[in-house]
Amino acid sequence: MPDVDILIVGAGPAGCVAAAWAKRAAPELDVVVLERDRAVGTPVRCAEGVGDAGLREFANPEGAPWVARKISRVIFIAPNDSEVRVAERDVGWILDRTRFDAFLAAEAGGLGAAVLVGTEAAGMTPGPHGRWDVRVRSARGETTYRAKVVIGADGVEAMVGRWAGLETRVPARDMESCAQYVVRGIDFDPDAIYLQFGHDIAPGGYAWVFPKGVGIANVGLGLVALKSDGRNAREYLDAWLARRYPRGACAGYTVGGVIVHTTVTQTYTDGVLVAGDAAHMINPLSGGGIVNAMKAGRLAGCTAAAAIRAGDTSARRLAAYHHAWMELLGLDHLKYYRIKRALEDLDDEFFNALARTVNAIPQERRTLGRIFTHALVKHPQLIPVAARFFM
Amino acid sequence: MRRPRAAEVAVVNLAACDRCGLCLPLCPPEAIHLEFDDLVIDRGACTGCRKCVAPCPVGALAMVDA
Ligand SMILES: Cc1cc2nc3c(=O)[nH]c(=O)nc-3n(C[C@H](O)[C@H](O)[C@H](O)COP(=O)(O)OP(=O)(O)OC[C@H]3O[C@@H](n4cnc5c(N)ncnc54)[C@H](O)[C@@H]3O)c2cc1C
Ligand code: SF4
Ligand code: SF4
Repeated sequence: MPDVDILIVGAGPAGCVAAAWAKRAAPELDVVVLERDRAVGTPVRCAEGVGDAGLREFANPEGAPWVARKISRVIFIAPNDSEVRVAERDVGWILDRTRFDAFLAAEAGGLGAAVLVGTEAAGMTPGPHGRWDVRVRSARGETTYRAKVVIGADGVEAMVGRWAGLETRVPARDMESCAQYVVRGIDFDPDAIYLQFGHDIAPGGYAWVFPKGVGIANVGLGLVALKSDGRNAREYLDAWLARRYPRGACAGYTVGGVIVHTTVTQTYTDGVLVAGDAAHMINPLSGGGIVNAMKAGRLAGCTAAAAIRAGDTSARRLAAYHHAWMELLGLDHLKYYRIKRALEDLDDEFFNALARTVNAIPQERRTLGRIFTHALVKHPQLIPVAARFFM
Repeated sequence: MRRPRAAEVAVVNLAACDRCGLCLPLCPPEAIHLEFDDLVIDRGACTGCRKCVAPCPVGALAMVDA
């Protein structure tokens, strides 16, 4: 039975960054990462957009081989197709997640962590001396790993948390069902990301165009199935594409789930931490989770390493991870979640009117703060939204 | 396989399923499992609650008489 210090389940951004930071904090520890997929970073279940500042905490995007495109504008599209351009400078980047995740895994490997692909965790039970015994399957058969700390970085599935007795189930109202194509041969501003809202387009979510280059983009949408008219996400996407980009050629295709919830109430227990999507650490307004997963991975890796060095991997000690995360982003997500719930009550006509109001502001003065102020004056319906935000 | 305890249970169409994992955290009794390229629903654990069905992005899940 292999005996390791830290066993990480999932080699996405959360797991790879956790492994790297555990090794940085305590190079003497044995750190193993399990990944079910045959190669890190495939298949891609993501629109690949990240904010500039968050990304730079972990890697320099200038000229990096894992970057597809730099983004300098955001274009919101109201339900009635009117466009609102928001002028900003360094908005963010569209990644090539296959290469980016592989880059993160290579960084962890370079620091001495072992990343095992084609290898999945199948369950776990408490072992002796506070250790966990994790059942591990691969083409070579089944073995059991014994670990001092298990980090659940297993994405939307969030099974490690459940095996450890944490509440990581997702209410249906807080699950975005997503479908996405890579579309070629379409006409759009390649320096902008586009977001369209609308009940008939993506109920409870939005549709997006995230450029990967000139004429090629990730085109997808996410919706809340409880609000749908009976069609699934792929059917809504096919309808939207046929209307907006009838001549586009679809290359890749993917589906996936985005948890638009708040952080699970407890992200730790004896010898276990959960991080990233597995702990519902996605921004519930935007659905973005890549940078959050990396920030959580960094905290989890450092916390686990320090706990093992101190010889105490109890829940009491690991609770420091939860508090650090809540301080960093978790409390913000509670606020964003309240805004999300308030926005759910507004109809398409509201967003059409908001687009008209914002377009009356000269584009160079269209900062998000000013948009919000104007919106409050012209659309008193938004006041309860603001009230709930600042409550 | 255990005997079903519900009148209706969920089944998956593996030809349509993309193994995205979205349905796993929606299932209250932990009846859905991913095992590499297989999505397995434990008929004995499924309570027939239907929570997994509509959210599947490709409509790969359906209810059948147990
Ligand atoms: C359609 C779509 C579009 C998105 N667009 C964006 C976007 O533009 N920007 C953004 O910031 N976020 C986006 N997200 C969210 C983003 O993809 C996630 O937040 C991010 O990938 C979370 O990283 P993670 O490391 O927590 O999990 P993941 O990246 O999901 O990694 C988890 C890994 O664990 C592996 N795994 C699971 N179970 C096991 C097991 N039992 N054993 C071994 N391995 C296992 C999986 O194979 C997977 O590789 C999008 C999501 C979807 C579905
Ligand atoms: S949600 Fe649908 S596509 Fe995704 S794993 Fe479940 S059955 Fe398969
Ligand atoms: S119907 Fe309910 S219990 Fe059965 S598999 Fe779906 S979510 Fe799980």
